[in-house]
Amino acid sequence: MQNIGAVQHPCARKYSGYIDKNYPSSEAFRMSGDEMNPAAVAQAVEDIQGDDRWMSQIWRELFSPLHALNFGIGGDTTCNVLWRLQNGELDNIGPKVTVVWVGTNNHEHSAEQVAGGILAIAQLLTSRLPKTKVVVLGLLARGEWPNPLREKNVAVNSFLRSWLPRLGHTQFLDVGAGFVHSDETISTRDMFDFLHLTAAGYRAISKPLIDLLLQILEGTPEEKRASLV
Amino acid sequence: MSSEDSNPAATPTPGVDTQGDGRWMSLHNHFVSNSKDKEPDVLFVGDSLVQLLYQFEVWQDLFSPLHALNFGVGGDATQHVLWRLSNGELGHISPKVVVLWVGTNNHGHTAEQICGGIMAIVQLIKDKLPKAYTLVLGVLPRGKMPNPLRERNAQVNKLVQEAVSSLPHASLLNVDPGFVHSDGSISHQDLYDYLHLTPQGYQAVCQPLHAHLKGLLEKQAEN
Repeated sequence: MQNIGAVQHPCARKYSGYIDKNYPSSEAFRMSGDEMNPAAVAQAVEDIQGDDRWMSQIWRELFSPLHALNFGIGGDTTCNVLWRLQNGELDNIGPKVTVVWVGTNNHEHSAEQVAGGILAIAQLLTSRLPKTKVVVLGLLARGEWPNPLREKNVAVNSFLRSWLPRLGHTQFLDVGAGFVHSDETISTRDMFDFLHLTAAGYRAISKPLIDLLLQILEGTPEEKRASLV
Repeated sequence: MSSEDSNPAATPTPGVDTQGDGRWMSLHNHFVSNSKDKEPDVLFVGDSLVQLLYQFEVWQDLFSPLHALNFGVGGDATQHVLWRLSNGELGHISPKVVVLWVGTNNHGHTAEQICGGIMAIVQLIKDKLPKAYTLVLGVLPRGKMPNPLRERNAQVNKLVQEAVSSLPHASLLNVDPGFVHSDGSISHQDLYDYLHLTPQGYQAVCQPLHAHLKGLLEKQAEN
C-alpha cells in the first residue's frame, strides 16, 4: 500500500499564496553571486531542511558559523519537501550533515504515514548525498493544551525512533524536552502561537542540536575512541 | 439589511480550528486576559506581519518604549480581527493609538470588500475607544513577480485612503519603502517568502512608522 505521506507530487495547497512562495533555487544562488551561493562556499557543511520559518538573528548567531544553508518553507508537508529535493534543491551541494525537520503540517496523514514520509526523505538524502549524515529532529508538541495533534506528533516520533536506526548514516534527535509544563500547557514565551518557536524557544532547541552537529562534524565517538587506542 | 451582512470581510467571524489544536482561540483568550493588567498607549492589531513584529529585536528597540501591546494573529483576515476586537480584546484597555495592519489574507474577497472590512474595524474602534486614533497601515505588495494579489492590495490601499480622508480619528500610512524593484520583482532579502518581512524589511518599515507614531502620541498628549 502506497504511503501517501511519501508521495512525491507537489501537494497542491488551497492557498493562493503558495505559487508565490518560490524559495530562491540553488540556480539563483549560483548566478546571483549571493553570499549564500553554495558553489562559492569551499565546503558546504550542512543543510537544514524543514518546514518552519527561520529567524535570521538566531540563524546568523548559531548556524551561519557552521556554513549552513536553510531550505525551509513554512507550511510544507513531507510531500512538499520530497518534491523540492527531487526537483533541484540537492543538485549543487555536498553537505556533511543534513538536518530534517518536517511533519507537523501533514494534517491529512496518519502518524504512521507521516513517519513513512520522513523516512522516505532520509532515504532520498542518503542516496543522493552519499557523504551526508542525516539528523531527523523530533516533532514538537503544539497547542496551548493537550490535543490530538500532540498525541499524533508523539506517535510520529515513536515510529521514527524505531525505524531510523535501521537506515545507515541517520539518527533521530528529540529536541522537545521542557516545552510542555507540569500543568500540560505550552507557554507563548517558547512558542508565540503555540506552534512556532520564539527566539528563546529556538535557543533552547539549538543547544542539543549544535552539540550533535559538532560531534558529527568533528568525527564520531567511535572514530574518536578508535584514535585513542 | 446592513451592508455588513452582505460583506463577508466586514462580518465578525471567529477563526476556525481546521488543524485540531485550538490555537486561534487560545491566542484570543490570551490577548483578552493579558489586557487586564496592562495599560498600553499603543495597540498593534492585525495578521502575521503584526504578530511576527513582536518576535524581532525591532519591537524591543522601537515599540516597547512606547508601551505597546501586540494582538497580531497569523492568517487573520479583516473579519477575524473584527471578531476579536468585538469579543473582549478591547475590553480592558484604552490605548491612545491603535495600529491596524490587516487585509492581505482576505482571499476570495474583492478590494472593495476588504476596504469595507478595514473600515468596519475603524468604526468599531471608534465606538469602543472614542478617544483613540486609528493608524491603518497600507497592505504590502507580495509575491516574487507581479500578480493579481499585488493589484488587489494596491487597490485596497487606494480605497482605504479615500475612505479615511474625511475622518479626524483615522488615517492611512503607506509603509512600503519601495519593496518592488524596477523589474517588478521583490527581493527575498526584504520578504523572505515574498510575503513576510525579514529583520531588514521590518527595519525599513518600522523606522518611518515609529517616527509617525511618536508624532501621533505627542499630538494626542496635547489634546
